[in-house]
Amino acid sequence: MTHSLHREGSLESLAKDYVLFIYPARGFNYKGSAPKIRHNVELLYQAGPVNMIPTSLRRNMYSGVTNEEILESITVEGTRVYSVFNDREKLKQALALIKEADEGISIMVSGIIDDVRQIAAELGITPHMVNLSLGIHGRTDRLAPADIREFTTMCGHGVVSPHLVKDMIRRVKTGKISEWDGSVIMAEPCTCGIFNPYRSAELLREKLPLYTVDRW
Amino acid sequence: MIIHEEICVGCGRCQPYCPTGAIRYDGLKSRIEQDICYECSTCLRAAHCPVDAIAESPNVYDYPRALRRYFSDPSATHAATGIQGRGTEESKTNDVTHRVGPGEVGVAIEIGRPTLGMSLLDIQRITRAIARAGVHKIEAHNPIHSMIANEATGELKPELLGERVLSAIIEIKVKRDELRGILRTLLEVAKEVDSVFCIDACTIVDQGLAIPEEVLDSIRAEGLTWRPNAKINMGLGRAWE
Ligand code: SF4
Ligand code: SF4
Repeated sequence: MTHSLHREGSLESLAKDYVLFIYPARGFNYKGSAPKIRHNVELLYQAGPVNMIPTSLRRNMYSGVTNEEILESITVEGTRVYSVFNDREKLKQALALIKEADEGISIMVSGIIDDVRQIAAELGITPHMVNLSLGIHGRTDRLAPADIREFTTMCGHGVVSPHLVKDMIRRVKTGKISEWDGSVIMAEPCTCGIFNPYRSAELLREKLPLYTVDRW
Repeated sequence: MIIHEEICVGCGRCQPYCPTGAIRYDGLKSRIEQDICYECSTCLRAAHCPVDAIAESPNVYDYPRALRRYFSDPSATHAATGIQGRGTEESKTNDVTHRVGPGEVGVAIEIGRPTLGMSLLDIQRITRAIARAGVHKIEAHNPIHSMIANEATGELKPELLGERVLSAIIEIKVKRDELRGILRTLLEVAKEVDSVFCIDACTIVDQGLAIPEEVLDSIRAEGLTWRPNAKINMGLGRAWE
């Protein structure tokens, strides 16, 4: 599963989009992991993620669950947690707290390499591995346009449909829905909770003038 | 997935949610084209049908159609691996598992992404090409491993080839000096597939998140570039079991 690797967009936009995974390893540190993961999530909350989902619940921050319910659900060994931050400093704060707590669970960050390098240096963290995206190949002519992919690639599993993005552009543009509400609707199908609705609200504002809509 | 015709009021609300465009009007009702439905459950989970007309089809877990659900619905746990999703823990836990060691590169081929999906024939095109290039070991914990009929040739079990899935990941591991050859193979097979795939390369970094030059040189040598954003294992995990 490498579903946070291929987020597309400008550097400026990607600088407001960092995915953080808390990921125990089956057979290596599953046993006794639940309270450690729960503690890491408590620390994440202090930094202010803009979306989050634990695999024990499979419901994200925009599906009517409370922070307490999310925490209470983390009793299963091996629960993984996916989260997103829309600000470099918040990501840095989350990493600083997790490093200090030293619970020993793997932490992955997806984001601009230079930024993560700098944050790691500032916090005295020694990253272990990088996973590079070497682009899209094959029938790229069949893909949705690049500006629609800036939305859809925020869900790496591909369940945020390009048709849904276009529908939201149409609905925002015709005044039927706000940019934020349209973004929350797009975030809902993403069951990994790594769709960043703050970024997509900005993207909607940016893309609206590029699309025409039917009069009716 | 199916839509109960007698219940559907034809509001069309579900249609934009489908990543493959499988939900279409048939007269005044919506209908799901079964051949192209990936069984990803997005319409059932997120579209909020006002009359609850969308339902799981009774044959969704029949073999081999069940593959569609396992590969396409992110919340489905794959029967072969017990892991949710299409791949393994790959780079996410490598600081603990050391599955990809120093001097090695983990290569993942994410087929059908972004949001296009593919026929399993496309997976076979790639597994065959990789096998011809001398790589016969697909990561054992990856669901694709259990779909292979012949590791020497990269052929998949023939009964699976009619299926379509939203995405799948082929995970392999090569020595750093073999990376260039496998990238060339992938660029060649890209001309044959009827879908798209993303290529991922993961490698242990040097002090200060310095990406090894040998890896970058191989990528450059094949005319490829890498995105400025990547996935980084922060090295904060450890084993205790
Ligand atoms: S299950 Fe997925 S592919 Fe099938 S109709 Fe629903 S949204 Fe479309
Ligand atoms: S949302 Fe429900 S009622 Fe509306 S078209 Fe789809 S299945 Fe029919």
